[in-house]
Amino acid sequence: MQADSSDLIQRAQQGDQAAFEALYRAHVGRVYALCLRLTADRARAEELTQDAFVRAWERLASFRGESAFSSWLYRLTVNVVFLGQRAGQRRALRVFTTEDPAAFERPGDAASTVAGQLDLERAIAALPPGAREVFVLHDVEGYRHHEIAQLNGIAVGTSKAQLFRARRLLREALSK
Amino acid sequence: MMCNEWEAQLNEYVDGTLAAEARALVEAHLAGCAGCRAAVVELRALVASAADLPKRIEPARDLWTGIAARVGKREVRNGKRWWRTALAAAATIVIGFALYRLLPPSAVHHRSEGTGWVAVQAEYEQASDELTRALATERDRLAPATVALLERNLAVIDAALRESRDALARDPENVELRGLVASVAREKVELLRWATRVAT
Repeated sequence: MQADSSDLIQRAQQGDQAAFEALYRAHVGRVYALCLRLTADRARAEELTQDAFVRAWERLASFRGESAFSSWLYRLTVNVVFLGQRAGQRRALRVFTTEDPAAFERPGDAASTVAGQLDLERAIAALPPGAREVFVLHDVEGYRHHEIAQLNGIAVGTSKAQLFRARRLLREALSK
Repeated sequence: MMCNEWEAQLNEYVDGTLAAEARALVEAHLAGCAGCRAAVVELRALVASAADLPKRIEPARDLWTGIAARVGKREVRNGKRWWRTALAAAATIVIGFALYRLLPPSAVHHRSEGTGWVAVQAEYEQASDELTRALATERDRLAPATVALLERNLAVIDAALRESRDALARDPENVELRGLVASVAREKVELLRWATRVAT
């Protein structure tokens, strides 16, 4: 699997679009999930997912294999999301709310699991943007505060404060 | 109900990021505070649920088409680069062949017949023009200082080429002048080749 992935990366770096499409197919679910949770906006998440893969294609030559390709791609995705949000302040903020519950639906999951996870997904989506971004990166994606601070251009203390706020709001929302 | 003043410490306690002394203080508080014990249970459940969320969500529509359209532009540009590289290589072969025919008899195994001189010049002009055009489209990729230096050098070579051609036109059978034209032409081709390669 690793060898296959390395081969695809190498071919994509040489301009092989079919190899890059295979990489896209392997990683799009993870990249889209990240974009969707960070933005809470399905249409925006689709745009950002495309932007992330285009950016990855443009930057493939800079990938030297020091980290896993997936880590490189997801970090690049987070950067694309944050850059897009900063550049797109002029764009009306479209916050996901429960009127678009289908965004997080995943056919095939057990009903009870889906219900609990959908409640959590909806509650995360309803968080204020700053709290949501930190919660998603820290508690869902497993980033550390110093990494989030670096990616988001905020202080470590701010990252912690946003996380604790997010957890407080989520506990309140889920206890209703 | 969590004690507000303990919110940060309880979160850090759940995350396991407290130093031993701070952790002991939190545990001492928890021993006597049912509200904070309940909050810790909730926080742990929340953190576990978040970590357990599926890492993949497939988009409702295929996004590849839009991506392919955008990365395809670069691929087309790569194709142009490949074409220019091939053009440069082909031009080099043409010029190499032309120079071979231009060289004085002492430098080649067979005597140049001189009958293809017009054709050789035409081949050289065509290849040189194509390389120059290829470079013109990509010159923005070079540093301004490099472009300025390149243009000065090409101007010097073109002047030398004009002079040596004029001299050869006055004495068409002069083998030394033919060698001079060949040498200057080689200089120009090498410089254009280098610049095209660097720019693309």
